Amino acid sequence: MRIYFSRFLVLLGLSISILAWAQGAPQSGGDFSNNSQPKKLPTETILVKGAWWSASDSVTPLPEGGLVTNNIYSNPYFRLTYGLSPDWTEKYSGPPPSDSGYYVLAQIRPADTFKGTSRGSILIAAQDLFFTLTPAGNALELINYNKESLNADYKMEQPPTVVRIADHSFVRFDYGSPVAELHWHVLATQIRCHMVQFVFTSRDTKLIESLIQEMNKMTLPDEAGPISGRGGGDVPVCIKDYASGENVIERVDPVFAERRFNPVPVRIIIDKEGKVKHIHFLSAFPDQAKAISDAFTQWRFKPYLRGGKPVEVETGIMFGRAPRPMTSVATGAVSE
Amino acid sequence: MKTIKLASVLACLVALLFPAIAFAQSDPGVRSNTGVNAGQPFASVTANANDLAFFQTGLAQFNEHQTVTGDNSGLGPRFNLDTCGGCHSQPAPGGTSPASGIFPNVGPNPQSQVIANGVVSGSTNTIPSFIAANGPVREARFPFFFNSNGSPNTNAPNGGVEDLFTVSGRSDAGSCSLQQPSFAVAQSTNNIIFRIPTPTFGTGLMANIDDSTLLANHAAQANNGVGISGTFNHNGNDGTISRFGWKAQNKSLMIFAGEAYNVEMGISNELFTQDRPLPGEDQLGSGLPANCLNLAGTGYPEDITHSNGTNASTVTSDVGLFNVFMQFLDQPTPSTTSPGGATSIANGRRLFSAIGCAICHTPSLTTQPSKLTAGLGNATANLFSDIEIHHMGATLADNVSQGGAGGDQFRTAPLWGLGQRIFFLHDGRCSNLLCAIEAHESNGGEATTVEAIFDQNLTPSQQQDILNFLRSL
Repeated sequence: MRIYFSRFLVLLGLSISILAWAQGAPQSGGDFSNNSQPKKLPTETILVKGAWWSASDSVTPLPEGGLVTNNIYSNPYFRLTYGLSPDWTEKYSGPPPSDSGYYVLAQIRPADTFKGTSRGSILIAAQDLFFTLTPAGNALELINYNKESLNADYKMEQPPTVVRIADHSFVRFDYGSPVAELHWHVLATQIRCHMVQFVFTSRDTKLIESLIQEMNKMTLPDEAGPISGRGGGDVPVCIKDYASGENVIERVDPVFAERRFNPVPVRIIIDKEGKVKHIHFLSAFPDQAKAISDAFTQWRFKPYLRGGKPVEVETGIMFGRAPRPMTSVATGAVSE
Repeated sequence: MKTIKLASVLACLVALLFPAIAFAQSDPGVRSNTGVNAGQPFASVTANANDLAFFQTGLAQFNEHQTVTGDNSGLGPRFNLDTCGGCHSQPAPGGTSPASGIFPNVGPNPQSQVIANGVVSGSTNTIPSFIAANGPVREARFPFFFNSNGSPNTNAPNGGVEDLFTVSGRSDAGSCSLQQPSFAVAQSTNNIIFRIPTPTFGTGLMANIDDSTLLANHAAQANNGVGISGTFNHNGNDGTISRFGWKAQNKSLMIFAGEAYNVEMGISNELFTQDRPLPGEDQLGSGLPANCLNLAGTGYPEDITHSNGTNASTVTSDVGLFNVFMQFLDQPTPSTTSPGGATSIANGRRLFSAIGCAICHTPSLTTQPSKLTAGLGNATANLFSDIEIHHMGATLADNVSQGGAGGDQFRTAPLWGLGQRIFFLHDGRCSNLLCAIEAHESNGGEATTVEAIFDQNLTPSQQQDILNFLRSL
């Protein structure tokens, strides 16, 4: 009798399981009242990312990979370190890279323990010069363009001027807002075909000057300079539009399953044999990244030669949409 | 002696505290001394009898209450309210979420009154806990489908609207018996987000801004030095810039109207031609049950163009009338003096621009020529939006993807009419401007640096000027 009852229970259990399986996952209007402790989603977390950055490996440094640790901002991709002033901190991380190649690398502000009377902020940002919407081929031109396009809210305090910081050349541009009584001092240089800039904002120019002085403690790669930062040495040479024309021996275009019309900027490193060694998607949906990765396995490039020897080269390609045309050129520019 | 000492201490404290109190910035609140400054048609519409008749018919349809059967049939089987004008009512039809006791006293959240008003049956429906009489009108979405144990399945994104109410139990709903979605479980697992109605004033102007204008503005705002870099959402059919909705997911006002009629009120129409099941019923189940289909008894779609009409406004479908109504709604009129006076407002406007708010909240854009009405053509739309989508970071992220917009990307909310709005941000979490501004600062958000400048580098007086300016809009 007990055996029959056990069999009955097993069959009943099986039937319920099969019934539950046949009904599929519960609908959003389903009844979960018997489940007392379902798992919670974390709050304040971005789980659905849309177009986002990604890379073909987790070892090669990326521009967005910098971190503040022990009060030092260090970025292995740009090979720079920047010591924060005591009682200054990064409270919030920046957004992902934009589809026009803009990076918020770090946002520094006084910590809660800060006792000074003047406050301010430091924005460390980068602009990939392969994808900029601004008509500029280097950091110097970009800052000159900023000067030319400064809107009426601001008054120029110092035109773009080349200065020495930590034994490297930067272009410095100061402007301010009379109504806000705020000052912006911008120091920019170029590394690996990116403009890397430090933007200091405060009401107090003395505070800004002291922060700029502290920049002298930072370390930078040899290439850093307003027009000179084009890679080379320990890192690949960067060349705009290298993946075009006769440089491309074999090319297979990616096929996107879904047309989303979003720009998909991609930086690649081509090895000495002309194969794609590393892919960095600045902004792409996962399916777009997959399609592009698959296509790149079939691309072959003419190896780039420097001094007669092949070297690695880094370049950018825009998928998804045609690159936006640059509309005008800055005038009255200062040269390095 | 002790008394003298105490008095001195008190005097010092008052002297120290009083300036702080005097200059502590605060949201002036809904502007109530300038009348209702939105909801009127363009002057060019008023001047044309045919256009005005169209507008007024659209307005009447916008405010009409729908039922399951009868003259205004088609409601349900699932819906969020029975009329457009209930949710879009502050400070005038076409606007957004109302409240009692706040100018112009439109009334309590209409969703909180549906049982009392007989719109839904109290025996089959309950008012969800997140709907309150003094809270915002809300649309609910579950970012993820659920596993069989009631836990959110993060591998199965959902994001569709979960209508709050069903027609079940109404006398005109027959035997249709539907449960409300599991809002309590969704809340207990954090798998629910909210959206409030977007105001529609001036949206005809937004529809009439050419892509080239938006792209030029986008390029002009690049390299801004405050960390901002947006992008556009695109229409999946033709690749052009889409612009309506919290994530700019809708291309046109007609689509916006058709979708809302279908999703918010359950009325099928010529753009969305079937009754709408919940995302789970449709994608994981078997759709709506047969006894909940064709409840109006008219066949589908329930809203159509009427071949037996006698003039343009009686021929046109409800969705077409909604479209015309929204197209013809002029932008709100800002005040130059209230609150805080002309000097403070003007100063606030300059500060708003100087600290970087105007990079996303573009003060104005110019429209292209219009065939609809002169007021829409070659006009200055003072929308305070770039119509781009921006990463707003983890604090505001709703984990819903729409078109090209990811879980933390939102269209820059147009600020015109802000002075007479009650609830802010996509989910209405704030009713104080300072709360809304603070929410712009977040891990992963583009506006963090700008918010920090507002918060840490402006004086209280300057902050007050910005708040006055915003409430003048």
